[in-house]
Amino acid sequence: MKTAGNMSATRLWSAYFGEMHFELIKSLRTPAFAVPTLFFPIMFYLLFGVFLGSMRGNSAMSQYTFATYGVFGAMGPGLFGFGVSLAIEREQGLLTLKQALPQPPGAYLLARAAMAMLFVAIISILLTLMAVFAGNVPLTFGQAARLFAIDVFGALPFCAIGMFLGALVSGAASPAIVNLIFLPMAFLSGLWLPLQFMPQFLQDIAPVWPAYHLAQMALATVGAPSAGSTAGHVAVLAAVTLGFFLLAMRRMHGSGFRLLGARPKRTLVLVGSGCAAILALALSGVFGGPPATSANGSAVTDSTDAAAGTPAPEAPPGVPAPAAGVISDFDAGSMNTAFGVGWNAVGDDMRGGNSTATQRLVDGGANGSKGALEVNGVIGGAIQYPFAGTMFFPQAPPMEGLMDFSARKTLSFLARGDGKRYMVMVISGLVTDAIPLMYEFEAGSEWREVRLEFAGFVNIDFGRVRAIGIGTMGPVGAFSLQIDDVRLE
Amino acid sequence: MSQTTLASLKGVRKRYGRVQALDGFDLAVQRGELLAVLGPNGAGKSTAISLLLGLQGADEGSAELFGHAPQEIDGRRRIGVMMQEVMLPGVMQPRELLQQVASYYPTPYDVDAVIERMSLEGLARRRYGKLSGGQKRQVQFALAICGRPELLFLDEPTVGLDVQAREALWKVVRELKHEGCSIVLTTHYLEEAEALADRVAVMARGRLITSGSVNEIRAHVTRKQVSCVTRLDADAVRTWPEVAQVEMERDRLVMSTRDAEALLKRLLREDPGLTDIEVKRAGLAEAFTELTNESAREAA
Repeated sequence: MKTAGNMSATRLWSAYFGEMHFELIKSLRTPAFAVPTLFFPIMFYLLFGVFLGSMRGNSAMSQYTFATYGVFGAMGPGLFGFGVSLAIEREQGLLTLKQALPQPPGAYLLARAAMAMLFVAIISILLTLMAVFAGNVPLTFGQAARLFAIDVFGALPFCAIGMFLGALVSGAASPAIVNLIFLPMAFLSGLWLPLQFMPQFLQDIAPVWPAYHLAQMALATVGAPSAGSTAGHVAVLAAVTLGFFLLAMRRMHGSGFRLLGARPKRTLVLVGSGCAAILALALSGVFGGPPATSANGSAVTDSTDAAAGTPAPEAPPGVPAPAAGVISDFDAGSMNTAFGVGWNAVGDDMRGGNSTATQRLVDGGANGSKGALEVNGVIGGAIQYPFAGTMFFPQAPPMEGLMDFSARKTLSFLARGDGKRYMVMVISGLVTDAIPLMYEFEAGSEWREVRLEFAGFVNIDFGRVRAIGIGTMGPVGAFSLQIDDVRLE
Repeated sequence: MSQTTLASLKGVRKRYGRVQALDGFDLAVQRGELLAVLGPNGAGKSTAISLLLGLQGADEGSAELFGHAPQEIDGRRRIGVMMQEVMLPGVMQPRELLQQVASYYPTPYDVDAVIERMSLEGLARRRYGKLSGGQKRQVQFALAICGRPELLFLDEPTVGLDVQAREALWKVVRELKHEGCSIVLTTHYLEEAEALADRVAVMARGRLITSGSVNEIRAHVTRKQVSCVTRLDADAVRTWPEVAQVEMERDRLVMSTRDAEALLKRLLREDPGLTDIEVKRAGLAEAFTELTNESAREAA
């Protein structure tokens, strides 16, 4: 009798494990939960990524949607598992009973979160198999593993948001309210349709959505164009997780804290310091490996092949260029471009080289403006014509989309750098292996305008521009370049 | 084990907005006893139990469970709980629910033994959501006892049960008590308290009015119940000073009174033809009504 209140470690573990086990059984037996969360991302990917993509001979689409539907899949289990189930169980008194019972500390929440992550893991694996075998998305094992981790851990912010909703709304209203947040957020974060196809203001507000940050990390992993840095995205997502978790706890008053366990304050301190540690790791760059903007070249190579393989003999010119003359001023805190796919750091690894580049926004642009884009990198000597720098694709998908700039007369921007010679490259025309426009300039320590008059170039198809690159072809070694106020007028 | 008080509330006050749910309430549950907590709706029974379970904190006073604050898990590992108005997940099987709840305890009963004891063999692998209301209550009772509790909290355990199921549940309650389990029972069914309780605590308006054995409580009451078949009109009888309460039960007139002798004399005088006369000592129900009414009058 003396030990009546003591629980052996084995029994304690089996209680935690049992809670997860039964939570999983419960979820699988609830079709209203299991069907939409498991099958919608997979079905949507098959329809929009694989079938539509292959019909258009567009494997970039298959690749883009592979990354974003993984994120879509990561949202559902957490939002519904917590948002709907918690709201219902709170109303049904089950939550109260669980608090009266000697459930081990935090088991209820842990089981829920583990179940959400398991569902996401299943979705992620199924999507990966489909992407590789049906979508022909080029994917290394490392990329697949990293994407898996992004999706599975990416479930956590949505668990926290779901928990907040579950604490806030009634059981009957919860499915509608969760859907009202889930579906618009998925759309506005560019999970169904790349953000470039959306109105500018929607692109501008996209970083507000947690799913956007997860999507950028996923896109960077598969080698698709993306914005922001891994550390920044992880920091935002960790903050969202902690913030909504605390809001939910506050909303549930005492009962929320008791779900954490016997000593809620201590548990909360542990959770808080855990999140802080993740945040610190993220900010120090340990977590995510290379910054997300160092786009992997495999995508570009692949889509290039796809386009080159199907040359139309009398192809129409590119999409008419939008009216905007200023492509980027880098003053709004983003690398976005007025249209098209934003600036992407590129190396020459897709051509077998070892040159690399990274890019970031820096303070202090030209003419006293707020920001500029800095590109840092290393030219390696592995191939004959190395290149590293940043690239702007006026029309998605990158390198495949063609834009008609024949009505424009100049390309101009301001540049400064380490005193080395740099190059503007305009890749255009029906075939991708045509010799691009190449224009050299020197970047000294002062801002200086670089201006290309299109009239001065012959045999360049300005009606079908695929990409504009600014970077260097050597010499071998490190380089550093800043650009600002890119205009096509 | 020297500890004899398993759970206690001392001088507890709890207020919800303008309602004083508990107003200086004391309660101690002793080892081995079956304590029934009675009281009209709003008396504070549920609040008192939820304080003992650690579901809320008191504004004033203290609550203890096995010498711990009820919020601490150590005390709760020694209790079993059956609550009112809990909906368990309908997609789960009773057997799974039992396995899950039993896993929270250090030395639970074998799940199959609990199923057998509660005669749930036929239901154990069906979906909980498909069970009848009474069957669900039986499963909830099984969940309450599966952890081999030293102290069992039962909140209205037999609501929705048919007579047979109720008797079966009472039988298990008596067995558990015999095995040394202490039980706190809140109920509206006074006959339930009468049938099971060693001790009754009567609550009204957030206070303990009285506590004692069923017989002691009954002895508090001076009323008797007189019933007969008569041609007298119930409304007329209601005006008599000898009568406290009058009701018609089919053809019988049922009166409660503090002075049975005087009432009998007057009845026989007014209706010499009355038949089938019966005089009973008050049951717990009458005692309870009187006690809580008295306390209401005092308060007024």
